[in-house]
Amino acid sequence: MVSSWRRIAERWQRDPYFGYWLVLPLVVWTLLTIVYPVFDAVRLSVLNVGFVGTVGRFVGLENYVTLLTGQEFWHTAWVTLLWTVLNVALQLLAALVAALVLNQEFWGREFARNWIILPWLFPSIVLATMGKWMLDPTLGVINYLLLKSGLVHAPISFLGTGTLAILTVTVVNAWHWFPFFAVIILAALQTIPKELSESAEIDGAAYLARLLYVELPSIGQVLYVVIFLSSLWASNIFDVIWLLTRGGPLYATTTFPILIYYKAFQEYRISQAAAVSMPMLLVLLVYGVWYMRRFMRGDAEGATT
Amino acid sequence: MTAAKVTARYLSVLAVLVVVLFPMYWVLVNSFKTLPELTSLTPTFWPHTFTLESYTRLFDQVPFVTYFWNSTYVALGATAITLVLSSLAAYSVYRCRYRGREVLFRLFMSSYIFPRVLLLIPLYIGFSRLHLIDTLNGLIIVNVTMIAPFSVWMLHAFFTGVPLELEDAAMVDGASRLQVLVKIFLPLSAQGLAALGLNAFLMTWTEYLFALTFIISEAHKTLPVGMAQFLQEYNIDWGLLMSSSVLIAIPPSILFAFAGRWFIKGLTAGAIK
Repeated sequence: MVSSWRRIAERWQRDPYFGYWLVLPLVVWTLLTIVYPVFDAVRLSVLNVGFVGTVGRFVGLENYVTLLTGQEFWHTAWVTLLWTVLNVALQLLAALVAALVLNQEFWGREFARNWIILPWLFPSIVLATMGKWMLDPTLGVINYLLLKSGLVHAPISFLGTGTLAILTVTVVNAWHWFPFFAVIILAALQTIPKELSESAEIDGAAYLARLLYVELPSIGQVLYVVIFLSSLWASNIFDVIWLLTRGGPLYATTTFPILIYYKAFQEYRISQAAAVSMPMLLVLLVYGVWYMRRFMRGDAEGATT
Repeated sequence: MTAAKVTARYLSVLAVLVVVLFPMYWVLVNSFKTLPELTSLTPTFWPHTFTLESYTRLFDQVPFVTYFWNSTYVALGATAITLVLSSLAAYSVYRCRYRGREVLFRLFMSSYIFPRVLLLIPLYIGFSRLHLIDTLNGLIIVNVTMIAPFSVWMLHAFFTGVPLELEDAAMVDGASRLQVLVKIFLPLSAQGLAALGLNAFLMTWTEYLFALTFIISEAHKTLPVGMAQFLQEYNIDWGLLMSSSVLIAIPPSILFAFAGRWFIKGLTAGAIK
């Protein structure tokens, strides 16, 4: 028995397909848990399955027609777009500012440059706790400070109205993500040769000019990667939104992930939920391919390595 | 450099620190307050009376220990499987030469375009057929699916850094390819594996959507899902939320203290090269 195992092992190692064997487990795993489920989602979207476990009847494109002719879908598409744009903008801005600040020489900078990422290590339930607690209309410290300083005369209900709610959740979410992107931008800033920024300084270039003509152009490629990742991830976010607003008030923060979850697990319309996810996949794929071709070096490899 | 410039520099650093640290400080101090002080209309910036009440309640009143253990089990399981799958796959796509390597590589790389929420429904259906709903092992499988392809990308900086001559020399000495991989290559890229392990643990530890939908019974809930129950719409238990927020943040922070610098190397090397 032992010797036959050894023989198998030896044969396996002389195998010219060694590389294939090593990658096979991950390929099989991916086929079973990503590729097959996507096809299954397509199948489900043309049935009328309600509860999990019930067998649906074939209804053709009915789910898609209901969806695309209704208000709900287009409203969600708008909210998702707005949410994504707001998030990318705020995350990029905050990350850039933080990276520029930490790129200076100051005491304790090595420590600060690594540990700035701390907020990103926290689960979304911690973010939701912080957000709800600090922004609470009666108990929150933010409202307390605003009232005390005389900036407002009545407490603000940060999650109470639609416009304010989406902005508030964006801020909470940005607090989680900006350190992650700041670390990436910071690493890029550190690759700029010292002589380059120093010579600019000798030339008497003001800070803003140096930023615009030396630093930003040198890290342009990384900013494109940051915008790409941040937009893809923001459009996929479920937890922070769900924990803070449940998609409300009045669907003002209902993005696609919220709608998919809500339809499948609160309304028990599995097939409709599957149908919602198809246009989302299509749009993201088109966006992803377009963006990589347009803004990132040639192919996927160039974009990420 | 003028004094004004130095002051401006430190003020800017201070501003960033306040934004990052104040929310953490605020949760931490509030976790040590008594309930009346916690819910008083005038917040105190340092507890008048210091108490561990919110912490002891976690152990007396709710199954915090169960949640914590479930999260640990799922995170360790997913990390272990991801380490094996991704390091083998990464060795294959970065160090071996064969046809189709490029295609596989790009497939793993582009997996992050794929919207994860899309898998929610078909995986739920599939898992319920396989009786994996409401099991911790089911959650492990889902988490590996979410992490493993992206992890291949994280290993790039570490796996391409090991000189090929080292492997060749070992092979000349009569070591088999598998021995070279396990005994020489993997130890040399230990930093990369630590970075990957940290990432996998973090992702699983913080995962919420799948844990929320796939787990039904109280006994199998993970920490984020269990904690979210303290945050019900009309019945928020602030004390429990504060103390559990502090505790849930500790394991990721400790791991980051050990493997953080390699994690950041793996993260940034890919993006800036």
